[in-house]
Amino acid sequence: MVCVRVVQLAVLACLAHAIPATEVLSYLLTAPQSPKLPIGTNFTATCFIKNTTEVTADDLFWRLAQKQIPKEQYRKISDTALNVTFLVTEETPRWLFCFSNKKSAHVQLNSEKYLHGIFIKKDYFPKKPKNLTCIAKQKKDIISPIIHCEWEPKHLRHWDFSTEYTVHLNIHAYKSLNFSTNESSADINTEVFPNFMTLDIWVEAKNALGKVESDRLTVEANSLTKTDPPSHINIISENIFSKSLLLNWTRPIDKTRLNLIYEVRFASEGSENWSYVPQADTNFDIQSFRLQNLRPYTVYITQVRCKNERLGYWSDWSDSSSKRTPASKPTGKPDVWQIVSESEASDGYQVQLLSKEPELANGEIIRYEIRIQDYKEKRQNNASEWETVRVTGNRSEITELKNVHLTDQTTHIAKVVAVNSEGKSPEATIVIPGKEHALSPVEMLKVSSEGRKLCVEWSAPNTSGISEFVVQWANHNVFDWQREKRNTRKAYIQGDFESFVRYNVSVYPLYWIGWIGKPTHIEAYLEQGAPLNGPTKIISKPKCKEAHLTWEGIPLEKQRGFITNYTIFYNDGTKTEGMCHIIKRIDHFSFIMTFLVFAAVTVGSNTFSYTLKNLARDTRYETWIGASTIKGSTNGSSHSFSTLKYAPDEIEGIVVAVSLCFLFVVVLAMLICMYKRDVIKKSFWPEIPNPGESTIGTWSPDYPVKAETPSESCLSGISVLDVDVYDGKSVFEEDKSCLPLKKDKYMSEEHSSGIGGSSCMSSPRQSVSDSDEGGDMADTTASTVQYSSVVASSGYKGQTPSLQPQQAVFSRSESTQPLLESEEHPDMLPLEGSRQSQRFHHLGLSHCQGNSDNPNQLEMEAKALDFCPVEEDSEEMSADGQPDEWLASGPISSYMPQLGGYRQQ
Amino acid sequence: MTKSGHMACGVQERMNGHVKSMYFQLCTQTAATLLSLLLMMVVDSTKTVAASRTQECGYPLLPTLKLARLVQKESVDLIKTYKASQGDMSELICKVSLNGIPDPNISGLEPSEQLSSIHSRLQEFSPHFKRVYDQQTDLQLPDSQLLEDLKRIRTRSRYLDTQISSVYQNLFPNSPPLLPDPTGGATSLPPPQNVFQQKVYGCVVLKTYKELLSNISKYLRTLKNQKCGINARRLNIFF
Repeated sequence: MVCVRVVQLAVLACLAHAIPATEVLSYLLTAPQSPKLPIGTNFTATCFIKNTTEVTADDLFWRLAQKQIPKEQYRKISDTALNVTFLVTEETPRWLFCFSNKKSAHVQLNSEKYLHGIFIKKDYFPKKPKNLTCIAKQKKDIISPIIHCEWEPKHLRHWDFSTEYTVHLNIHAYKSLNFSTNESSADINTEVFPNFMTLDIWVEAKNALGKVESDRLTVEANSLTKTDPPSHINIISENIFSKSLLLNWTRPIDKTRLNLIYEVRFASEGSENWSYVPQADTNFDIQSFRLQNLRPYTVYITQVRCKNERLGYWSDWSDSSSKRTPASKPTGKPDVWQIVSESEASDGYQVQLLSKEPELANGEIIRYEIRIQDYKEKRQNNASEWETVRVTGNRSEITELKNVHLTDQTTHIAKVVAVNSEGKSPEATIVIPGKEHALSPVEMLKVSSEGRKLCVEWSAPNTSGISEFVVQWANHNVFDWQREKRNTRKAYIQGDFESFVRYNVSVYPLYWIGWIGKPTHIEAYLEQGAPLNGPTKIISKPKCKEAHLTWEGIPLEKQRGFITNYTIFYNDGTKTEGMCHIIKRIDHFSFIMTFLVFAAVTVGSNTFSYTLKNLARDTRYETWIGASTIKGSTNGSSHSFSTLKYAPDEIEGIVVAVSLCFLFVVVLAMLICMYKRDVIKKSFWPEIPNPGESTIGTWSPDYPVKAETPSESCLSGISVLDVDVYDGKSVFEEDKSCLPLKKDKYMSEEHSSGIGGSSCMSSPRQSVSDSDEGGDMADTTASTVQYSSVVASSGYKGQTPSLQPQQAVFSRSESTQPLLESEEHPDMLPLEGSRQSQRFHHLGLSHCQGNSDNPNQLEMEAKALDFCPVEEDSEEMSADGQPDEWLASGPISSYMPQLGGYRQQ
Repeated sequence: MTKSGHMACGVQERMNGHVKSMYFQLCTQTAATLLSLLLMMVVDSTKTVAASRTQECGYPLLPTLKLARLVQKESVDLIKTYKASQGDMSELICKVSLNGIPDPNISGLEPSEQLSSIHSRLQEFSPHFKRVYDQQTDLQLPDSQLLEDLKRIRTRSRYLDTQISSVYQNLFPNSPPLLPDPTGGATSLPPPQNVFQQKVYGCVVLKTYKELLSNISKYLRTLKNQKCGINARRLNIFF
């Protein structure tokens, strides 16, 4: 190190001396120039001051690119030389500068002359190549002369110097070959592959910083070979060796070039696992091998590969070759099982016996032989005949042997033998116990899914004597079983299970000699999902404030999982009270979000009906039902119903109430009629004095009407006024002024005519009511009397009989009250009993009118009225207040009774 | 030990049957122990011999023998290829004998002389191979299999020569090494020939070379048997 420094200083001194003072480009000089530095080592540079005393070493600084190096890393050699030492890293910049920033005018003005730099080249030492491997592959029938070598590192990052690799291949005592590359692999051409020659191979890595060699690989050249795989693999099956196959093959390369060893592997058809022949058995240069301890009547696939003896690379595996081993008689028992189903007969059950081929069938099973007998008979050695079941046509894995009907009380034993072309298998036995003799089942059965398989776990019953377990599984179209050993408590079911399909899994304990114990069942899914659809058939029975919904369960194949609950959704479209869920629905066309609010009720999975309560009357509801599993829920189709306005019992109540009210009124009326008969009779059928018995008749026989002097006691609703027959105006005025008084007077009368009585009971307003009020009154009662004001002639006033027909002015009131029948039919007045003078008038003037108290006669008279148009017309006309002619020629009548009730005015 | 066993045998004469049986067992055990010891010694000595033999019969003798067989086979194949590529009369031309061809026989009585003789013969054939290759280059297409095979057998002959030299060096480390002679030693090449003569010459060279290789193989097999003994085949597996 010291020597280096000395040399550096000497060189610098020479350089400084060689440069003339007049041609000073820089007052500083750095050394060494363009160093090649290994990353990770310390580097020391020196800066000299030359041809100036303006600055000293104390004024010098070092910087790497733009970053100044701390002064702690400086070492002052003299007043004109300054060292710096720093660690070279990957991040070290390429330029190292020495400069002075002294605050003097000369330095500031010539700053570029107080700067000198070093360009640094850095890299790592070349890494030693490792893991050198070389290979020579077979080409046609010889080994290729090109040897391919690889080493590590595969990818090296270069900084300033690339690494060159040289592969050296030395054929012992013959010649050396080499090949250079920048990669991590190389191909070396040996012209002729040096079989049986010893090779030395190594790699030398070299860059500007140095070189390094890999470890030497000294091998026999044949150890680098990789041949083609053996060809023409031929398998020979010999009938006398049902468990053996003889292999032979053709070696890929001549024996003189390479001594080969082999490896053989084989697998039965369908198996994914290879069986390897022990290496010691094939570690020779052989071309045939006998596989032994194989299963009879099984197809085996075989492959062979080879490599140079001792060292070398294994060739690829040869093409597969397959052959079936010869058949032999079955060595395993057939796997016999049962399917139990209820029989139509009440005293037993139906059993279907099934069998799978023996695990060691050793040939094609062509038939089964079966014998079923009562267990007691068996013990008595009453052997029944063997039945033959031929396996024909479609050879499925499971063969149906026999359907038998067994009784509950009897235990049966079934023995089955499988037969192939070479002989019979050992007997398989199952005992189907009577119900009384069934032994304990397994307990705590549970099924879980692991990957694509179902895992069954159980605990054995406490009873002893269990020989094995049978795990049975089934769905709507699959039935299978498998046997597990007696100490097994957990088993994976060997089947291709589908997701979303329900499987019924059963575990049967088998006791000695195949005595079947009671099964334990469980249902399971490999994977659950949301149901395919919700309940679709919804039947609703709406009422007033509730609706009873009934739906059908989802078909099993659409459930796709265990239904955990049903959720009933319903909404009335608008109401939001009591709603507990909100669904957001997006209209894809308008992108307007609308909200549908509905109520939901969740019920159990076993519930298929529900009554929705607190519904609104007379409202249309939409409902749908969602079915849920642990994986999700699916809604069914919607269903609409409308609640009733009235409940049927409400209608009944209303009808009953109305009926009762009506009945009560009727009864009350009847009671009133019964207890107030006299009053009613007097009110409605007052006693009318018989005018015929009146003394007036005797008083004026010619004018019977006028002869009778009106008695105050007889005045009722009719006011008889003393007016001038021609002075209608004064009459009305007088009438207006006196009418209340008269009314009061008449109302106080105890005995009044029918009309008068009616009038007395009416209010004053009624008596002077206008036509509107009259309409109302007409609605209320048909017996209401229409008041009339009758202006009598002067003759009448004085009760002076007159020979001339009395000129009477008939003036009707403004009341719209209907006229009494007697008013419209004056001829009926006698019947009603208070129109004495008018009656008399009628009796005297109208031939249409009768004069009888007899109701029949009255009726007849009413009928007769129909034939009196003149009177009717006269009435109408009087209402218009026009008919002077009528007044002259018409009957002298103050009012007309109404026939059959009232008439609207 | 032998003595105590003898005493035991003397005592047994005075014992009853049961005791007799016990002492008989003791004698048997002693004999078995002795036999085992003897066997161990034999095996150990055999191993020592085998180890010494292994040093000589192993590398490079066995690979050299294998290489000789390979070259012999390649020479046989080459003659077939040669005949096939020479057109009509190929069988006839190979029955002619010529002078100036190296002797296929191995001379010498000692292994060193024999190995040296092999080395010399192989050296002598080298210029002949070159001559045949050159002649056939004029007669065959450039991509002819014959040319490729001729080239290979020439290289292979050098490989074999190298291996023989290694065997020689291994067996006789104190002797001067067998150095290669690019000139081919004492052999002389024939004068310019016509095509028929070239064909005859080529075939004779190849046939003679085949004979030489046959002799080399036989010799090396003999040498292997000498060096490796009866376990040669087994050792062959490991080397």
